[in-house]
This record gives sequence, C-alpha cells and structure tokens, in this order.
Amino acid sequence: MVAKVTEIEQIRHELDNDLKKSGSSADVDKLRSKYLGKQGVVNLLFRSLPVKTNPHLGQAINELKNLIKDRLSAKLTETLSHAEQDILDVTVPGQIIPQGSLHLVTQAIEDIENIFLKLGFARRRYPEVETDWYYAEGLNIPKDHPARDDQETFYVTDNTVLTAHTSNGQLREMELKKTPPIKMINIGKTYRRQTDATHTPMFHQFEGLVIEKGINITHLLGVTEYFAKSYFGQERQTRLRPHHFQFTEPSFEIDITCGVCQGTGMVHKLPCKVCKSGWLELGGAGMVHPNVLRNGGLNPENCSGFAFGWGVERVLMMKSNLPDLRLVYSDDIRFLKQF
Amino acid sequence: MDIVLTDSSIRKFLDTSANSDVLSQNVSLCGPTFDRTKQIGDDYVYDIEAITNRIDTASAMGVAREAAAILTQFNIPAKFINDIYQEKPVFRPGLPKQFHFNIEKSLVLRFSAIAIENISIKPSPKDVALFLENCGLRPVNNCVDITNELTLLYGMPSHIFDLDKLAVQNLTIRPSVEGEWITTLDDEKHRLVAGDIVIEDGSGRLVDLCGIMGGQVAEVDEHTKNILLIVPAYEPKKIRQTSLRLQKRTVAAQLYEKQPDPELCLPVLYKAVQLIKERAGGEISSPLFDHYPLNLPAKLVPLEFEWLNNFIGIEINPETVVSILASLGFGGTLDSHQITCTVPSWRYPDINIKEDLAEEVARIYGYFRLPSNLPCVNLPSEDGDPILNAERTLKRYLSDIGYHEIYNSSLVSLELLEKTGLNPENHLKLNNALSQDYEYLRTSLVPSGLMNHKHNQGKIDEPLKTFEIANCYLKNNDQELPFEVSTLTTISNENFRKVKGEVEALLMKVRVPDISFKQVKRVNTFFRAGSEIFSGKQLLGHLGLVKPTILRSIDLQTEPVVTEINLSHLAGQMSTGYNYQPISEYPYIVENITVSSHQPLGDIIHTINSASTLIKEIQYLESYHDRHTFKVSFGSDARNLQQSEINVIKDTILKCLSA
Repeated sequence: MVAKVTEIEQIRHELDNDLKKSGSSADVDKLRSKYLGKQGVVNLLFRSLPVKTNPHLGQAINELKNLIKDRLSAKLTETLSHAEQDILDVTVPGQIIPQGSLHLVTQAIEDIENIFLKLGFARRRYPEVETDWYYAEGLNIPKDHPARDDQETFYVTDNTVLTAHTSNGQLREMELKKTPPIKMINIGKTYRRQTDATHTPMFHQFEGLVIEKGINITHLLGVTEYFAKSYFGQERQTRLRPHHFQFTEPSFEIDITCGVCQGTGMVHKLPCKVCKSGWLELGGAGMVHPNVLRNGGLNPENCSGFAFGWGVERVLMMKSNLPDLRLVYSDDIRFLKQF
Repeated sequence: MDIVLTDSSIRKFLDTSANSDVLSQNVSLCGPTFDRTKQIGDDYVYDIEAITNRIDTASAMGVAREAAAILTQFNIPAKFINDIYQEKPVFRPGLPKQFHFNIEKSLVLRFSAIAIENISIKPSPKDVALFLENCGLRPVNNCVDITNELTLLYGMPSHIFDLDKLAVQNLTIRPSVEGEWITTLDDEKHRLVAGDIVIEDGSGRLVDLCGIMGGQVAEVDEHTKNILLIVPAYEPKKIRQTSLRLQKRTVAAQLYEKQPDPELCLPVLYKAVQLIKERAGGEISSPLFDHYPLNLPAKLVPLEFEWLNNFIGIEINPETVVSILASLGFGGTLDSHQITCTVPSWRYPDINIKEDLAEEVARIYGYFRLPSNLPCVNLPSEDGDPILNAERTLKRYLSDIGYHEIYNSSLVSLELLEKTGLNPENHLKLNNALSQDYEYLRTSLVPSGLMNHKHNQGKIDEPLKTFEIANCYLKNNDQELPFEVSTLTTISNENFRKVKGEVEALLMKVRVPDISFKQVKRVNTFFRAGSEIFSGKQLLGHLGLVKPTILRSIDLQTEPVVTEINLSHLAGQMSTGYNYQPISEYPYIVENITVSSHQPLGDIIHTINSASTLIKEIQYLESYHDRHTFKVSFGSDARNLQQSEINVIKDTILKCLSA
C-alpha cells in the first residue's frame, strides 16, 4: 500500500519536472497524452493497482488525475498567454515575390476592350498586312485619290500594305456578318512612316463599327461620350467638329475636354500647354459612307452605321501624361516594371 | 489646308457684331477650325485649318460665308457681304489682240488672261503690305502683291508676267518634256519630268511652272511697264504630282491641287484689273482671253426631310433646313417632303449625295445641340475569339509570376536577322521602309526578345524574365497575304528546370491537356538544345537554350532559356469545360525512392510510372550523379493499401532501375 502511494508521489514529482521543462502549448499537449491518454500514466496505474479492492487507492488515483488535469490546464493558460507576449519584429523586410508587369499598351487595350464589351461590342482582330481593296479602294479611296499620296503608308508589295489604320476591319466585318446588326471593336497594330515625340512607326488603334437600321449621329455621340467618361472620368465632356474622311459621310473630329485645365483652356491664368482652348483631339469618326456599305455587301437604303478609329497610345498618353510616346516602346525593365 | 488670315480681311465679307473670340470659337465648332489667334496691332491673325475637301473655305471670303451661316444659328447677327459672285465683270471689246495661247487638252479647267499697259511698279500701300506680312507673305511690289492679296481674299491664285520679257506673244500651255529645266521666281532651278504643266513663250523658254510658281525669265520688276495677267484653273492631279515631287508646297499649289472654283476666274481677274489700275495706273490693252473647256451640267441633289431626321437623330423643321442650305448658297425647289438642291459652283466637287447635304444641315445646326443616345443594337450571342482569350489569360499569368511584358516593333533590321541566323528571303520586306532598322516583318519574336535582354544587361540584379505576345508574319506563297500567327515568346535568365515548370504551369492554367516535352536534336535556328512542346499530337512550340554563336553575335552575356508557343495551336487545344474527379477517401501513402540510372529523367519517371497503376504521383526531388530521388505517392480509390503491396512495387521499380 505504501509502495503504491509512493508511486503516486513519483508521478507527481515527474509531472513537476515535465511541467518545468515544457514551454509551449504543444509541449503541454504532449504531457496531456502522456499522463491522461488511453495508454497514459494514470490509466496504467488504474490497471496495475487493485482499485476494486481498495477504494482509498481508487480515490487517491482520481485525485491525482484531477490534479494533473488542473496543473496541465493552468500550464496551458500560462504558455498561451506567454506566447501572446512574444516579441515579433514587424519591421523585418518581407520576402518579396518577384513582380512582373503588364505593358502599358496591354493595360490600355484591356481597359478599352472592357468598356466596349459592356456596351455589347464584339472584340475583333483583322489583318495587319492587307490588300489595297480592304485598306483603301473598298473604303471609297480610289486609286488616283490625293489621300493616297500621303507618305505615311508602308507598302509590302504594290497591292499590299502594312495597315496605317484599323478601318480595313470595317469591310471584313461586313463580310463576316453579311447582314446587320454589326457592333464590333477591332483593336490592332497599325504602322506609319513617321517617328517623333508623338509618333512611333508601330502603334495601335481601336476601330468601332455599329451598323443597323436607324443608326444616326446621336448614337455616335452616345458611344463616344460613354467611352470618354468611362476611360477618362465622369467629368469629361465630348464634342464633334466637322472633318473629312473618304470612308465616312459626314465625318467628324472628336474632342474631349482637357484633364489638365478642366476644359477651361487656362492654367494659373496662362493658356494651357496641353490642349487647344480646353479641348484635346481624340480622333476621327463618322457615319459609314454608303459606298463603303455597298462594298461590304450591305444595302445603304436598309441600314446605316457609324465608325470611329482612335489611337490606343493616344488615349493612353492623354490619360497618363507621359511626356514622350517613344517611352512606351522602351524595353528598359526599370521603366516597364513601374506599371 | 492651313491658311493664315486676318480678322479684318474676313470682315471685308462679313458684317457682324461678333468679336474675334466669338467668331473663332463658334465657327470652329461648325466649320473651318481656328487653331490659333494672335493679336497684332488692332487686328487679329488666325491660323485656320480648312477641311481638306472644302477648298472654298481656304480664303477670307470662304470663311466669311461659313461664319455668316454659323453665327446666325447662334442667334448672333451676321451677314455675308461683298460676294464676288454677284459682281458682273464687263470687258471692253475691240482692243488689238496682243497675245495668243495654245492650250493642250486636259491641262486646264479654265484659263483667263488680259494685258495691261503703262503701269508703274512701286511698293504697295502700307495697309496691303501689312496684310500680306500678317498672313506670312513677303510684299514684293504693287502688282505682284495684288495677286497674292486676291489669293488670300478669294482662294483663287493668279499670276502676272512682264509682257515685254515674253519673246513672242504666242504662248503654249503644254506638258513638260523629261529633262527640261525652269528657274522659278525664288531663284531655284528645277529639272522637270514629262507631264508637269508649263507655259512656253514661243521661243522655247519656260516662263511658268503652272500652278506652283512663275518663271524667273518673265519676272515683273521695277522696270516693268506692260504686264500679262492670268487667272487659270489647272487640272488638280497634275499640280499635286508636280508640287509633291518638287516638294514645292506653295499656297497656289495647295489651292490648285484641290480644284478651286473656275467660276472665280473672271471675277478675280476683273478685281485684279481694277486694283492694278488703282495702284499702278495703266490701261487694259487686250481683249479678254477666256478658255473654258470645262462644261459642267447643273448638279441637283434631293434631300428628304424624313430621311434627314432619321439620319441625324432629331427633328429639324423643313424651314430651318431650307434656310441653312440657302445661307450656304444652295438653291433648290421645295415640295412637301423634300428639297431638291442645286449645288453652287464652289461646292460642285464635294457635294454629291444626300449624306453630303445632311452634313451641311447638321453641322450648321450645330453638332453640339444633338443629344447623346446609346444605340439599342444587340448582337446574337457569339463565342469569344479563343486566341484573344488565350492571350489575355497568358499575359496576366506571366506578369503574375514575374515576367515583364515588352512590345517590340513588328519590323526588324536585316542586321538582326543575320545576327540571329535567319534567312531574309523568308521574310516580307517593305517596299518603302522608313529606315534600315524597320525593314523586315518578323517571323519570330526571339531576335527582338534577345535584344531586350542585351539592352537590360547590368540594369537589374534579379533574374530577367520577359515575354511578348505578337503576330509573326509568315509568307504564304499561294496567297497575297501572309499568315499572321499570334505567338508567345518568353525569355528567362532562370534555370531550365524552373522555366520548364513555368511553361507546364502556364499550359495547365489555360487547361491544355496531355502536355509532353520531346527532346529533339535540332529544334530550329535558335536553339542549341531544346524540346518540342506537345499537347497530345499537336505541336505547340519549343523550349530551349540559345546557340552560343547567336549569343556571341549579339553580345549577350547570359544564356537565357527561350520558349516559343504558337497561340493558334494552343487555342485549339484549350478546353473550356471542367472535369470533375472525385477525391479518394483513402489517403495516399508517400515514400521517397532513390534509384540509379544513366537514362534521362523523363524515361526514369516513365519507368516508375509504369510499374503499377497504384502509383498516383511522382515528384522529382534531387539527383546525385546517377542516383535520383523521387517522392512517390501510392494509393487506390477503392481501399487502403497494405505496406506489403507497396514494398512489392518498390522492389519492381528498383529492379528496373539499378545501374
């Protein structure tokens, strides 16, 4: 009997030692299974001693068990509250995951595309190397027209060009759809023989085309305004001015209010350097010329449409205030990673 | 066409209370654009952009006509005055004929001329000189200045010769002959080709490079007493050809190439004669010469009011339509539903169809008065373009895992093709390249990509990872147009294994099934060692290391891993649906196995995998010489495995793979 009591004492003693050594809640969990688990010290004691014949012994073991439980739970509380006070240097520099970057032009194209997708336009891409028919003649620019003399077009052969605009998509879309309704946004690479602060030989345009019975000038205004407000900001205004293109009639130049002078034309009582009297040119647009509808296989008596072709880099520059377009086409990672 | 005009010159034809600001702002909205205004003394000078098909507005009178119509719509009182078309020139008959013109066919639309004697050349009056200077022209003398002044006022150029310097008064207007020379008034010598329009004075000398600039031999100077005044209208295309070829973009050339109204010839000639008499004295000494082969029928264009309203998108009442058209000089007969317009002579070339008239009505009414409406056009549902979808996903993914996107020009130099071992013959070449740097259309994005890496050498210290998605242009021998193939190229300075893992992850991201890499000896021009990437049997692209010769020739110090993927092939393999796999209730048992083999790792993995269907996953851990360690997961979807079964499989594997 005495021997058994001693055994209980030993266990208590061992527990004391164990508790002293344990510092974490995980250590406490281990002790819990060591002492109180199925195969734990207490259960072994129950099994090895004649508990049934000696109620005092049983009581003593139960007391031990309760004591262990209390000691463990006190220790757990202690370790947890200790852990809360652990010092963490939150100013340690984080381990950065290397960041890549999406090109500014890609971001602009995505922005533009998303705006027009909301309006229900279908995204298209048409050839960059194009025949004269789709690029010019079919767009109501006859072979001997002065518009051909512009020295901006790159020729691949006498009859194929590297497109200087995305309007070749107009006839191609009409041929694809065969009948109205047509509502597409063609975004693609375009090329011109010029290079300076606002021109690069390669750039991008987005071409909108909407054709259906009853399309009128106010619809062009509606889509223009929706785009300008979505892309540049709700406070921006748009306006049309008369212009001339062979493939639209009437043709317009579209302006939007300048973001720098808020359309006032003045900054600190001096004329705004960015715009002309408060307005910036967005690009050309117009009602599709009946000859172009005919060339696309549509009957201008049954439908009408509008089209616009604007520069991706142009809207990007207008929005971002980058000083030089050639920067956009830099391959310097130190520039590219900023975006 | 850009022209410079003064406020006072416009007001010779415009009676309005509108000040300079009101005038320029409102007219810009509906007609020619006033780009800039500059105050000089008590006058204003405007830079005006006449719309390209509206050469009739490239003059003070033309701007004034537009302004009167436009300001009226803004409820600002404005009247078009001193309309030269209303003047009826009268020329005295019966004078002795002093000259004759032989005019070859199809060179002129109209040609009018008259001789004046006994003039005295002196400087122009101060106000005339000031007007020309303000408009950017240099005053010469009283007579020459009159021709320049009238060009600005009416948009119709004219020219004067010293009559006594013309050898014979029998002048020929003819196409030039290849190799002829003419010295123009600005003392420049020009070699002509066949087909420029010139005037020859009867002795073989060229006295005028028509429509561009007069010849020096018949120049009017301080000694001139008798002059020949001409007001011609030339064939526009010929003037444009000559002007562009010689890069002589005079005001006259820019006007003539757009076909100014031949009806202006006589009124302007008459006006010039009056001014010459007034400022230089002299008398008309010849009858009027007026050759007018162009005989245009009246042009009638009908405009239905209902169609007009539908086209513009608002109701404009017929009275307004008629009054707008009348203010621009259109006549017409009106009935209940339409107006049949008579096109005035100065609008003859640009007004042809009802849409042209709709533009006139809408712009003068004011585009700014139109409301904005979104069109209710709904397309039937269609699938998105798989290539565009793939591009979007790939770009996002690559930039998320540390790649930088670069846009390179589609046009590359011969030098770059040669340095990267490409054959220029396989490339489309521009006929009229801007420079040698941009001459050939790319068939691969790799050369420009390698150049990107070269340009960034030493600029950043982290491993450089770049990508580009763009079209490659592949010759298509049967067809006029090339194949334009959307292509992805990645170039990374990280190790091969890392890049290959990224490619695999990327292909999984876009749900390309059944990916495999086949080692090939000679992948293509760029690679010294590499692999073809397949999805099933479809070749998607290549992955490999660049040949040292190429790296050396472009002076790239690193040895990057390059991937090229054909996105149309990739898009064809992408699956859009999900494939649900139930998760096994029985946990896999994972064990590390080390084998010995000289075989490539891919073959070893293949051998391990074929040892049993109970092998679910094999992960490569490391190699030491020929010893390779893998983490292998064993499992069954139907039951728990026994360790003894696993041991049997392991034994099988080790038997196969022990070097």
